[in-house]
Amino acid sequence: MLERFALGAQIALQPLSLLMMLFGVAWGIIGGALPGISGSIAMALMLPLTFGMNPAVALMMLAGIYIGAMYGGSITAILIRTPGTPGAAATVIDGYELHKKGLSGKALGVSLITGTVGGMVSVFILVALAVPLSKLALAFGPPEYFALGVFGLALISSFAGRDLLKGAISGLLGLIVATAGTDPFSGTPRFTFGGTDLLTGVEIVAGMIGLFAVSEMLQQIAESEAWAVIKGKFSTDLPTWVELVKLKMAMFVGIVMGTIEGLLPGGGGAIAAFISYNEAKRWSKHPEEFGHGSLEGIAAPETANNVVTGTALIPLLTFGIPGSNSAAVMLAAMMLHGVAPGPQLFERTPQIVYGLFVGMFVANIMMLVLGYLSLRPAIAIVNIKRPLLLASILALVLVGAYSISNRMFEVWLVLGTGLLGYGMRRFGFNILAMVLGLVLGFLVEVNLRRSLMISIGNPWVFFTRPISLALLIFAGFTLVWPIVRQAREHRRMLPLQTARVP
Amino acid sequence: MRRADLLIGIGLLAFAAFYFQQSFAITVGFAADRLGPTFFPRVLALALAGCAFALIARSVGGRSDPTPLPTVRISLLLWTMTLTIAYVVALSPLGYLIATPLYLAALVWLLGYRSPAGLAGTALGVTAALYLVFARALKVLVPLGPLGR
Repeated sequence: MLERFALGAQIALQPLSLLMMLFGVAWGIIGGALPGISGSIAMALMLPLTFGMNPAVALMMLAGIYIGAMYGGSITAILIRTPGTPGAAATVIDGYELHKKGLSGKALGVSLITGTVGGMVSVFILVALAVPLSKLALAFGPPEYFALGVFGLALISSFAGRDLLKGAISGLLGLIVATAGTDPFSGTPRFTFGGTDLLTGVEIVAGMIGLFAVSEMLQQIAESEAWAVIKGKFSTDLPTWVELVKLKMAMFVGIVMGTIEGLLPGGGGAIAAFISYNEAKRWSKHPEEFGHGSLEGIAAPETANNVVTGTALIPLLTFGIPGSNSAAVMLAAMMLHGVAPGPQLFERTPQIVYGLFVGMFVANIMMLVLGYLSLRPAIAIVNIKRPLLLASILALVLVGAYSISNRMFEVWLVLGTGLLGYGMRRFGFNILAMVLGLVLGFLVEVNLRRSLMISIGNPWVFFTRPISLALLIFAGFTLVWPIVRQAREHRRMLPLQTARVP
Repeated sequence: MRRADLLIGIGLLAFAAFYFQQSFAITVGFAADRLGPTFFPRVLALALAGCAFALIARSVGGRSDPTPLPTVRISLLLWTMTLTIAYVVALSPLGYLIATPLYLAALVWLLGYRSPAGLAGTALGVTAALYLVFARALKVLVPLGPLGR
């Protein structure tokens, strides 16, 4: 174990790795602070840049962006009452109150420092849980991988929101797109329409950039209201040591909730942040200050959403199941470099995993320094004119798409998926569900067919093996639980709704 | 959302039918496994058709989400798409270094920013920055058009 960390440190502490992580964290902070660019979009935009990199360095840079964006998102939350990333939504409540009182520096400082602590703790949690879990996956054969893929698809039900039908349709569309290309078993082309462009399948990186980033830009152009701007200067007085020590309870709550929510499928930073906010209020000595500019009200959600940066990677690294947008982008980067997540990743290429562990720890320190340095320039970042930003991002996306395989096909693909993604956002479909279908389609189909080949066509093979059976039962629960919960809530709400009608 | 859901449902149903029909164009080789390359796509096509039916039934039955959709600046969206498609088409003949600043300037102007200095600065600055990163640092062969000869 220790040798592996030494191996990881060797990679993570190389000058090039450090430089790329520094760039990643800086871009993450900027991206997070740019209204409309979330952490996952900031990551997706940089995917084409990772091509020539060593896979370990590529993942470290992306993790750096993820970490930086968590702080960047709180800058806009505090200064213009707009969460730059979904994870910063709870920070708006007290952050903006503090800004109005002229205590912006204290709010930003608490977000930065508690976020750094949360991020560092999360690396330890990640190591403590991912390494043993990856051992479990060593016992996996085709039936288990098939069951795992089914479980991954069942997750759609937990983040499809209120509309499960549209979530299912989104997932199916992703699975359908994933079938285009050369059939992995027989080598025959499928759905390539006689051309050669689709022979290698739909490039997932292009689909990801289109669905996540371009769709958001199009929605901003077509629908969104004017952006808020920061007026005048703001105080950059940082919190004092005494003030920080008082936040230990709120941070503890953030760590616990961030760990639990990060592990749960479909949880993600935003939910962890809100739950931590509520719990911190309950445990606080001054609950009355919450909502009126409480530093604890920033510490709890910001610790929690930074804890999620590590814990959200656990299901990804051990089993290859992405539980959030950002994890899905990380998975795309891994696929791009031919790195398959799972136990093989830990055994065959420990330098990648352990490099990432060490790198994430270093990236958190970088965030602390860069975050402090960005306090003053934050005004310029947040106040950038929207037309300039949107046009620049679109140009970056198009050139980046071209660079994927030096041909126009991916450029059209990015535009097409961008338009599709905008339509999906507008009409209540779920983009992450489609991405999940896209990345899991191969896993599910190949292992279904491989399992049935081994069992000579006997479908019971999935139910007679304990791990496979357990995963399928778990998948069933994951699928049904949100439906049951919704039905229960609906029944509870029904009398209220009918009572309101005169 | 009701009418939109109905139209989307019909569109998805048509797509599922098309996808199912296209699965017959796949040549199944001799060495194929039991399920073959057509089984999984056909299951997906049937599942999508089922979901599309459910969506149609839901909107006809009036159980769709009745919340009206946010207003959309459709002409701005169409112009952005037109401009972007024109850029992609022009990229090969004109070359990156000519097409990109023109596209950026036009798009920034279209989106409502009119200061000449900012317009020119963005057009040239972003073009140069992307060129340095992609063509120089990452060695991507961006189309150069007449400038490349």
